[in-house]
Amino acid sequence: MNEPSAHLHFASHRLQEVALLFMAVVYTIRLIWYFRFPAAQERQAPTGGGWSTPDKGILFSLLIIATPWEMESTRKRWFLWCQFVVFHLGVAASIALSFVIPYLPKLLTSTVVVGGLQLILGLACLVGVMRLVRRVGNMHMRAISSPDDYFSLALLTVWLGIAAATAPNNVTRGEGLQLTYFYVTAFFLMYVPFSKISHYLYYPFTRYYLGKSFGRRGLFPIRRGPEPQA
Amino acid sequence: MNSSLERSWKAHKLIERLGQKLNRQVVGSLVACVHCGMCTESCHYVLANPDDPTFAPAYKGDQLRKIFKRHYDWTGSVFPWWVKAATVDSEKDLEDLKDIAFGKCTNCRRCTFNCPMGVDLAAFNRVTRGLLTYVGVMPDGVSVVSKDQWEIGNQMGVLKEDYLDTLEWMQEELQSELDDPTMTIPIDKPDCEVIYTINPREAKYDPRSIADAAKIFNVVGEKWTMPSEGWDMTNFGLFSGDDELGGAVARRVYDKVQELRAKRLVMSECGHGYRSTRCEGPNWAKYDVPFTMESSVVTMLDYVTSGRLKVDKTRNSIPVTYHDSCNFARSCGMTEEPRELLRLVCTDFREMYPNRADNYCCTGGGGAMSMSEYTPRRLKSAKVKADQLAATGAKIVVTSCHNCVDGLNDLIRHYKLDMKVTQLVNLVATAMIMPEKVKPVAVPANGATVLSATNGDEAFALAKSEKPHLLTLDLAMPGKSASEVFEELRRDPALAGLKICIITGRPELRKTIYDRAVQPPEGYLDKPLTEQSLLTNVKKVLEVAHHQS
Ligand code: SF4
Ligand code: SF4
Repeated sequence: MNEPSAHLHFASHRLQEVALLFMAVVYTIRLIWYFRFPAAQERQAPTGGGWSTPDKGILFSLLIIATPWEMESTRKRWFLWCQFVVFHLGVAASIALSFVIPYLPKLLTSTVVVGGLQLILGLACLVGVMRLVRRVGNMHMRAISSPDDYFSLALLTVWLGIAAATAPNNVTRGEGLQLTYFYVTAFFLMYVPFSKISHYLYYPFTRYYLGKSFGRRGLFPIRRGPEPQA
Repeated sequence: MNSSLERSWKAHKLIERLGQKLNRQVVGSLVACVHCGMCTESCHYVLANPDDPTFAPAYKGDQLRKIFKRHYDWTGSVFPWWVKAATVDSEKDLEDLKDIAFGKCTNCRRCTFNCPMGVDLAAFNRVTRGLLTYVGVMPDGVSVVSKDQWEIGNQMGVLKEDYLDTLEWMQEELQSELDDPTMTIPIDKPDCEVIYTINPREAKYDPRSIADAAKIFNVVGEKWTMPSEGWDMTNFGLFSGDDELGGAVARRVYDKVQELRAKRLVMSECGHGYRSTRCEGPNWAKYDVPFTMESSVVTMLDYVTSGRLKVDKTRNSIPVTYHDSCNFARSCGMTEEPRELLRLVCTDFREMYPNRADNYCCTGGGGAMSMSEYTPRRLKSAKVKADQLAATGAKIVVTSCHNCVDGLNDLIRHYKLDMKVTQLVNLVATAMIMPEKVKPVAVPANGATVLSATNGDEAFALAKSEKPHLLTLDLAMPGKSASEVFEELRRDPALAGLKICIITGRPELRKTIYDRAVQPPEGYLDKPLTEQSLLTNVKKVLEVAHHQS
């Protein structure tokens, strides 16, 4: 493996560090902003007996994305849920790749690792395209979409595609791919706090508060009846 | 977009008020939506209007979200167009917001349960309603009902005298029906185990449910009372989004319970009343309630399972299904208790699908029944519920909510379903086995063969099978309302020659019979009845009939 050029070294190290630091600062400010809003108190007497408690409600609520059978929306449209899983695995893989290339490049000498990464990233990129098609083609989706929604999705899709191509970390034919990947990653990191992509920052809190309240009210975990007879 | 200088005063106040109403939960729901569209098909409005994206939950949520983003969030303040942030300026903007918040959402919370991000759209739609109410932009019905609840103390404007009069009337009916003067509806009795509060709809349109509950409390020997004030456990603050009204109404109920030193507050079957008083009321009133609050469903279930109340479920043999009130099932976790009780008092209970937290709104929720301007939209969206009901094959739909009773009745009429709506209290009262001392009075035979029925359905079946010459109908009969039974009897061609004599202790209720577009009854008798007056009238009706024939 060739030594990276100073430019690539900068893009994969210093640039990423600055972008990450920027993101962390904005996120911190964002969280301070969020926590300055007072939390509403739940004064009602607990319901639900042992089945449902605030703790169980919080756990149930936080795990809901991993338990698709618990929501009708994911139960009935399991294909969309699978897309969600693949897409987010791809994002996680791409983030991991941005650390592996500069700090653990040896990992990418394994064809299994590279193949696995490319498969996840490629599928995630494909899901990104499918999501874009759905967002543009479905009237309900268009009605709720803002330029940020389109741009964020397009950005992630492109980024995942570039990551899939970059995963072998092969610079024998030039560093263009790597440089593009790291510049896009840096842009991504700095754009995220201002976009809808930052939803994962809020996810734990919205789900925590919902789970706490619904657990106290006997709503979470959800109680279901028997399914209809055929 | 207008500049803030051109902004109307109301729009300005609404934006200002939004800042005061933001808490961590609401802000979470406002910032966390990723516009994934997973909630879209969970809404009954969308299912009924698949080609109109303005019914999508996220779209509706965005109407408040855009104002929040424009005025209280970062990106939206700097690049509003990028995140579709916008403000409200004109009266028209507020009217548009009203149309969405009041007319396109019943706050049923079904979308909340289907959002992977935990966005509680119903909760912040209520916030939107509250902001609009704050600046006086709301449907007329909401404004009238809120005013009644603020000023008269209950949402139907029932005067105290009328309420007390109704309780007295029901007590008399009960005593006469069961020939037992010990059957009482105590008012303001201190130190009771149970204080029973109701929905004003019961006092106004459905007093039989008060009598049924009273019968149950009397039969089990409960130490109970009804309050003379603070008896309305419903709360329009839930629908209008007005927390101040919500807190004041809830506090009225709590204060009365404490004044009378009752141990338990039992609320009649009403989804929004239960939610408002038990769940939200303490939050709105910022008050930690020191006594137990429960739904009468739980109380009745306890009576039956503990053996205090004996029931014969074969008396309710018509197939029934159960509709979950949104407030019960998706805001208070009350899904199993009503079903458990139903199985104890009915022989043929059929589940509807989907059910429990996945059940669909009756479409009359969120105060929709008081907003007549949205009725066509509401009834269109009710198609999904109508299909759900029809698929059960049941003849009776039971619900533990007065609002749902009205919503379901309306859609059943609109979609011409062969179904009736009733509540658990009516079924329990029908199934209840009376202890010896409270057996009903035997009707004097005097040469005639007398058949008796204990409720409307039984009376109808008996009339068809036995073809009697005369049927006496007590307006205070258990189960379905006597005026409905009367109309059904009249409309049945097989019962064309049947003579009907109405009996009641409330002459003013004549209109419920005479207003019906069917042949009026042949006889009418006021209570209290004597054996002689009954016989004289019965003979008179039959003689006239004989001469005519
Ligand atoms: S499911 Fe939740 S996150 Fe997705 S569009 Fe609906 S409210 Fe927004
Ligand atoms: S709360 Fe109910 S009516 Fe309102 S948007 Fe959600 S699903 Fe539709």
